[in-house]
Amino acid sequence: MLSAQNLVVSYGKSPVLNGLSVQFDTGGVTALVGPNGCGKSTLLKAILGLLPKSAGTITLDDVPIDDIPRRTLARRIAYLPQENHCPDYIVLGELIELAGYARYSLFGGPSAQDRALFADVLRTVGLSDMAHVPVNSLSGGQRQRAWIAMVLAQDADIILMDEPVNHLDMKYQYAVLDLVRRLGQEHSKTIITVLHDLNLASAFADHVVMVRQGKAGIFGPTKQVITPENIRMVFDFDADVFMREDRLVCLPRQDAQMRANAE
Amino acid sequence: MTGRAKVFSAFILILMAAFFANLSLGATNIAPEDILLAFFSFDADNYDHFVVIYQRLPRVLIAVFVGSVMACSGAVLQGLMRNPLASPALLGINAGATLFVVGGVVFFGISSAFQGIAALIGGICGFGACLMVARMSGMDGNSRGLSLILSGAVVSMLFIGIANALLLSTPELRNEFLGWVTGNINHVYIDLLYQMWPVGVGGVVVLLILSRALTLIALGPEKAASAGVNIVLVSRLAIAAVVLSSSAAVAICGPIGFVGLVVPHIVRPLVGAKQTMIIPGCILVGASICLIADMVARLAFSPFVLHTGVMMDLFGGVVFAFVVRRYYLTPGLRRSL
Repeated sequence: MLSAQNLVVSYGKSPVLNGLSVQFDTGGVTALVGPNGCGKSTLLKAILGLLPKSAGTITLDDVPIDDIPRRTLARRIAYLPQENHCPDYIVLGELIELAGYARYSLFGGPSAQDRALFADVLRTVGLSDMAHVPVNSLSGGQRQRAWIAMVLAQDADIILMDEPVNHLDMKYQYAVLDLVRRLGQEHSKTIITVLHDLNLASAFADHVVMVRQGKAGIFGPTKQVITPENIRMVFDFDADVFMREDRLVCLPRQDAQMRANAE
Repeated sequence: MTGRAKVFSAFILILMAAFFANLSLGATNIAPEDILLAFFSFDADNYDHFVVIYQRLPRVLIAVFVGSVMACSGAVLQGLMRNPLASPALLGINAGATLFVVGGVVFFGISSAFQGIAALIGGICGFGACLMVARMSGMDGNSRGLSLILSGAVVSMLFIGIANALLLSTPELRNEFLGWVTGNINHVYIDLLYQMWPVGVGGVVVLLILSRALTLIALGPEKAASAGVNIVLVSRLAIAAVVLSSSAAVAICGPIGFVGLVVPHIVRPLVGAKQTMIIPGCILVGASICLIADMVARLAFSPFVLHTGVMMDLFGGVVFAFVVRRYYLTPGLRRSL
């Protein structure tokens, strides 16, 4: 289980995370939501030890993250940054193969088992016949699925994603998140993803963590967390939340929006 | 045979052709069978054998060493800084090594045995100065390392300027070192090769061992770290290997620019962007390019012998323009040129 206690992380002088504590449930999809600049991405980077923390601890199964060597950590936690850049001339198959770095010995390459996993991963994201295609010549939706495939090929049990469906149109947003959720169920992985859209969060997440001004405001099962009161408190915004065909819908109130625009 | 195997076979064939052409062509042309005879049954009284073994072979070995080391260094720097212009010559390494060798000779009269050490220290100082200028200019946070490249250009100009000034004010050394300063592959430097080769080979071996991690770093430091790469350790080791091995190359025959910049750009489209493929490719192609440049430098203006460094500058300048055009100009600007 992944958890953070009293986490303080600062860029320069102003703290972005200010005493954040949160516990992530094992298994399923957890959505990290919150207004811009509240520290969602920072939290993911801090979990991976990519940012220095001024206080607090992050533990994975009660072991402090700082005590886990990089290679060991990479076998437990994979990460998909918000922006991904691939150098020219790298083909999809090579990108996927790079993900297994933490499992290879110094001179050995991927094992037969690794290769089977890579083929499986490409099939899962629907890019089986694209392994020889340069990553930079894939379409936007394909490229995002390629990065997701790379994260899966790392074969970690926890996957952190930073806005995986940004820049995608609605069809791919739903396709990619549906894929992510299915993977979580089939391979029993824990997926923690930053999402902007509360409707996407309510459609795909089992748990929601609302981050408010560098502190985890509320966390718990999706239906308990996404409520008009909580949205009001965290986003400073009025919204109606109702059920339609057993799905949670979150509809911003027009008058609230107009008031916000006028101010 | 896969595409990549074909490409590597072609690289090896080109290298072998360049190797024999370089031994065979010159002021007097020597037949290939005489070259083989010179290798396998050396006759001390045969003038051709003498030329092959004591004049041309040393040049060839130096060219192979310098070309391979510089090309690998350039490829690794370009990946580490994610900047297509990164290379030992543009990051102050070559200029630092040059200045320290010239300064050592002018001020302390160091013998050629200590030139190598001076060049290694100089290369480290040159790269350090480049980092310092980048930090002072306050833009060391930018992701593509552009400030490092600009600082490297400033530091290089300054260091080469000082080295030239020192040489020009010391007439008795001018003739001996003016050639070296412009990058001159010459058989008289072979003793330095015997002294410095372990540094260069060691550096390239380190880079080969790190190559998989270096490929991941080219995807971005955060991605690499999350995939299990110890970024700080790998980049420090790689930079140390690059600085030391390219300084060793400078120690032998002076700064030969542009090999480090140009060769990776030739190799990458042919073998892909994995450093595990690029570094071996750069070893082969870097050596071939240096051999060819050396040959052209000797033959093009015969009976005059041009310096290999000058030849590489001519060739590299053109490629440099293409790299800038491809990576730095916006499509609109590119059309208007």
